[in-house]
Amino acid sequence: MTSWRLPNGGRIERAKSVGFTFDGKVYRGHQGDTLASALLASGITLFGRSFKYHRPRGVLAAGSDEPNALVTIISGDVREPNVRATELEIYDGLIVQSQNRFPSLEHDLMAVNQLAGPLLSAGFYYKTFMGPAIGPLKSTRFWMFCEKFIRRAAGLGKAGTVADPDRYERMNAFCDVLVVGSGPAGLIAAEAAAATGARVIVAEERPVAGGSLLASGETFDGRNPAVWAREKVDALASLPNVRFLTRTSVWGYYDGNILTAVEHVSDHKPNRTRGQPRQRHWVIRTGKTILATGAFERPIVFPGNDCPGVMLADAVRRFAVEYGVGAGKNVTFFTNNDSAYDAARALSMAGVNISAIIDVRSDVSGTCNDIANVIGAELLLGSAVTGTHAGKTLSSITVQHFNAETGRISGAPREIKTDCLGVSGGWSPAIHLASQAGGKPEWDEDLQAFLAPEANQNWVVTGSAAGYMDTVSVLSDAATKGSANSRLILPTIEASMLDSSPAPIFEIEPAGKSQKAFVDFQHDVTASDIRLAYREGFHSVEHLKRYTTLGMATDQGKTSNVPGLAIMADIRGISIPEAGTTRFRAPFTPVSMGVIAGERYGDLRPHRLTPMHDWHIANGAKTYEAGLWHRPMIYGSPGETIEQAYTREARAVRESVGIVDVSTLGKIDIQGPDAAEFLDRVYTNMFSTLPVGKARYGLMLREDGIVFDDGTTWRLTETQFLMTTTTANAGPVMQHLEYYLDCVWPDLRVHLTSVTDVWAGAAISGPKSRAVLETCVTGTKVDNTTLPFMGIVHGRIDDIPVMVCRLSFSGEIAYEVYTGAGYGTQLWEALIAAGKQFNIIPYGLEALGTLRIEKGHVTGAEIDGRTTAHDLHLDWMLSKKKAYVGSAMINRAGLKDEHRLSLVGLISLDNQSINGGSHIVSDKTPREPADSFGHVTAACYSPALGKYIGLALVKHGTSMIGKRAFATDLLRDKHGAVEIVSHHMFDKDGSRMHG
Amino acid sequence: MADLQSPLGVTFIPGNHGNAAGGTGVTLQERKGISLVQVTAWNNTISTVLTAIGSATGVIIQNTPGSGRVAGEKSVFGFAPGRFMVVGATPDLEQRLRAAISTDLGTVIALTHGRTIFRISGEQVEWVLAKLFAIDFSEHAFPVGAGRATLHHDIHALIQRIDSQTFDIYVFRTFARSFWLTLGHAAEEVGYLVE
Amino acid sequence: MIIKCPYCGPRDVIEFTYQGDATRTRPNPASTDQDTWNAYVYDRSNPAKSHREFWLHGGGCRQHLVVTRDISTHIISSVVYARDYIHAGGK
Ligand SMILES: [Zn+2]
Repeated sequence: MTSWRLPNGGRIERAKSVGFTFDGKVYRGHQGDTLASALLASGITLFGRSFKYHRPRGVLAAGSDEPNALVTIISGDVREPNVRATELEIYDGLIVQSQNRFPSLEHDLMAVNQLAGPLLSAGFYYKTFMGPAIGPLKSTRFWMFCEKFIRRAAGLGKAGTVADPDRYERMNAFCDVLVVGSGPAGLIAAEAAAATGARVIVAEERPVAGGSLLASGETFDGRNPAVWAREKVDALASLPNVRFLTRTSVWGYYDGNILTAVEHVSDHKPNRTRGQPRQRHWVIRTGKTILATGAFERPIVFPGNDCPGVMLADAVRRFAVEYGVGAGKNVTFFTNNDSAYDAARALSMAGVNISAIIDVRSDVSGTCNDIANVIGAELLLGSAVTGTHAGKTLSSITVQHFNAETGRISGAPREIKTDCLGVSGGWSPAIHLASQAGGKPEWDEDLQAFLAPEANQNWVVTGSAAGYMDTVSVLSDAATKGSANSRLILPTIEASMLDSSPAPIFEIEPAGKSQKAFVDFQHDVTASDIRLAYREGFHSVEHLKRYTTLGMATDQGKTSNVPGLAIMADIRGISIPEAGTTRFRAPFTPVSMGVIAGERYGDLRPHRLTPMHDWHIANGAKTYEAGLWHRPMIYGSPGETIEQAYTREARAVRESVGIVDVSTLGKIDIQGPDAAEFLDRVYTNMFSTLPVGKARYGLMLREDGIVFDDGTTWRLTETQFLMTTTTANAGPVMQHLEYYLDCVWPDLRVHLTSVTDVWAGAAISGPKSRAVLETCVTGTKVDNTTLPFMGIVHGRIDDIPVMVCRLSFSGEIAYEVYTGAGYGTQLWEALIAAGKQFNIIPYGLEALGTLRIEKGHVTGAEIDGRTTAHDLHLDWMLSKKKAYVGSAMINRAGLKDEHRLSLVGLISLDNQSINGGSHIVSDKTPREPADSFGHVTAACYSPALGKYIGLALVKHGTSMIGKRAFATDLLRDKHGAVEIVSHHMFDKDGSRMHG
Repeated sequence: MADLQSPLGVTFIPGNHGNAAGGTGVTLQERKGISLVQVTAWNNTISTVLTAIGSATGVIIQNTPGSGRVAGEKSVFGFAPGRFMVVGATPDLEQRLRAAISTDLGTVIALTHGRTIFRISGEQVEWVLAKLFAIDFSEHAFPVGAGRATLHHDIHALIQRIDSQTFDIYVFRTFARSFWLTLGHAAEEVGYLVE
Repeated sequence: MIIKCPYCGPRDVIEFTYQGDATRTRPNPASTDQDTWNAYVYDRSNPAKSHREFWLHGGGCRQHLVVTRDISTHIISSVVYARDYIHAGGK
């Protein structure tokens, strides 16, 4: 027989053949196969090499608990490593590679690591790579030197290097009841909950719902439980209040009954339809959670237990019953409980020969005896497997007498030929999600397993996850957990009387020398590693985990935690719960980064565009991001450098006129009878005295006296103001104002609304700016009397309504012209047209910055959360007539200290540009670390001064004026002489803007 | 006066998009020619303000969180305590509301230029919106006429249910293009029509 | 974590911004007593039990709320509007 595919059975579609490639070789399986079942059916038992020792490994489990059979999916240049072969559904064209082998799976050079076994034991890295105390490889540098070699030898799959081209999505869901798992407990609980009218979501990690029913040997109302399950699922899914999600693994349990799940939408498909995501990240907010997550079978730790062909008993059963695959042709079982007998019977019924059942117990029930008898398996009681013989796969096992009371092995070894050993060490309820939610699991002596902690949110555990191991009690528990008043009529179950309570045997430890006995397969942690950890003083479970890495692989110790704890408890002579347990963390199963990022990949943030954005792009603007905004940096001409462009633009403003988009300024509508009073309290200067139709420059402090933001605020009516903020601070200022209205002065009648997006704003600046307005504004005059500095008028341009305020950031005579955002481009084009005769040019943020640096106006670079009004020479704005936010704290000694940094100007003395962020030092020669007494906040080339200039915050700022210093930037290798000057570097008396 | 410029520019592409096999899961539109006015009452004037909105617009809503009503092109909904969005096709909506609501009753601010309204309708509307917003779109939790204020990442949005398969989404104008692209992206899976 | 806004109903914590300890009272603005102001601006308690906090529902109705939350378990026992809380004398 060349095929391991059984003649009958399984839920695979035998008529549909599927071709896939494993390590370069083409295989065929059936629709419905996993990679594991398809390869096993083709006689492949070697799936990969182990993490540390490169030992040959096969399949251990049949689901998400698989620690060994991890593969990499190859799709073009994209690699997805560490996918469990037991969960990977095959499709036509699937290409996978085995992992952690070099150069090939069958001839692995690194397998010599096995000979170096003692060297690679627990704590190996800590001990070996501390490095010498001195020299080039001292301490951790030695580790860094060795790391790249070790990484190649030990590790899981290799990640890809190209960007993930797949699409991922997020989905928000709300329900009254979330049922995790769709085995017998999940289905009945969901049915009971749905009957109450509740909105129910059922999440099943496998492609097909039914859980253990899919491979059960029992009958439900006289029928095959898999058929019963399918009908139940169809009936549930057709209800309007039930959503059934398959291929959906619930992996996180968070506060507020929020659970996260990953749905593998199209991982199993060769092609996706347009817009279909590969995986979907479900965030489910539920009233109540029902955890019907089942139980994981545990292995027994015995010498040689990791060779291909040694599997969990239930996995052997599932491959046979669900996929029609015999994992071996001559199967044996090794158990400490009854469930392996059930698996043996199922396998025998599927036509596989069972030669022996080895049971550590000296006495078993009549049912077990009967099963062994009927299937013709030799029953070896009071025995244990003490060794295996294997090449690429298992060929025989060694069995000896075993005393379950003393753990002692005796008698002559007996060799039994077998190509597959199904092992059962009892069952651990899958309490991962409950454990994530919080609390310490509780030990159940009867089950020899941990049960879920007491609920701290609205959740219940049911079925085998709650420790119910017989179907009748599972169903009645599930109905009650689904709804306290459930009236469901439960199916009549015909089941064999088997008892899943195991004998408390976790490890078989021969007295003499023996093969390695593995506890954690994925991290290659052996029983002797745990003993070594104990000898070296790592007794607590937390230390044990970190020292040996037990349970810290991608499977989070699903199969290894309890055996590992049991061995440590045994060494220490204490009980397992006394040895402790570890709390499970999210994710329950590995989750791709892509699905968590969802649609937020690449450009992570939304773009904010001003109404004139398309005009800027069409007219040569180079933009950059300022927060979320995309703003013109320069409007470059061909062949121009950035410096040439902004110099040209800034010069045009000083000489004639320029126009800049200021729509990004934060704008807040402030209305109400107490609006003026409110502004008096939040600004350092007075606003209640501001006449209607006028604007005023305002300064805001934080409560601790540090400058928070600045901007102009316009009084539109007695009770309505339009506040502008810096672009970057629009959100924080809004939040700041809301805080004071809600939490400090709730009696003030003031309403705030963000109107940043309502207005398009264009500032026109330069000696010719008034002339431009005169040619295009109708309905108002704009002369110096009608529109003086800080005045506001309303009129029309190109028949659209505008509001014009005369204020200046550039130091030139300038106006901000506002209109509704929907008219922004029309306004902009009308102003450009009107300015044509004056050679108006648009200017970008670089020129805007240059103009303000020349004038010594501050922005966020100087309002950096550390500076006071005094530091920025804005103390003239601090009213002495009233209290305002920050006024109580500004006179603290530390804020008045003469050593504080304050604002100065800088002029380069070597005709070289000054780097922003440079330190101000007195040393002529660069040295590290230099004695910095300040730093550069902004720098540019000034066309008005014909020099490179900057602004800086410098100790004793004002008294330093006229002195020489050096701006040093060791990171960019720049060190140059500067003169410290007043921050008002251009037009100190402001005559230009008042003209 | 000219029509208001759409913030969508070249990203507004009428026609069918996305998964063709899925048919038209949703239809996306930008609502134009609509006036938006926000009215905010003082703590003790909410019911008076609702009466005033009723007399100015003919649409009367209840004084409960998030309640609202749709009447043809007109709609009113609450999205914060004492705060209401009043929407209609009449250009003088702001003046009428200002006339009806003095500073003693509350405040009025026109937001027509500052907010963009997208209408999304179709069989898959709840599915598509659930990708973007963490609120419950099922009709019993979000009845027809009701309003909600919520967030899609950095984008603040107001949402009103127009009928069982139609929602209006209000976003800040400067975010509109980004959000429009996001909306289209989310709708690709079910196929969508831009009108 | 979910906070049940009195206006918007239950919403994910991502819609909210933490705005600090709600058990402090701002000193009289006219006061220049540095110790009082210092305590208000800088002193914060961090009890491993129930605590009152300001949260801004910035991703919803934009109201400040007072959330009473057990910091050690994240269990929220009450959420009210900050305005109502202040009007009630901070209780
Ligand atoms: Zn809210």
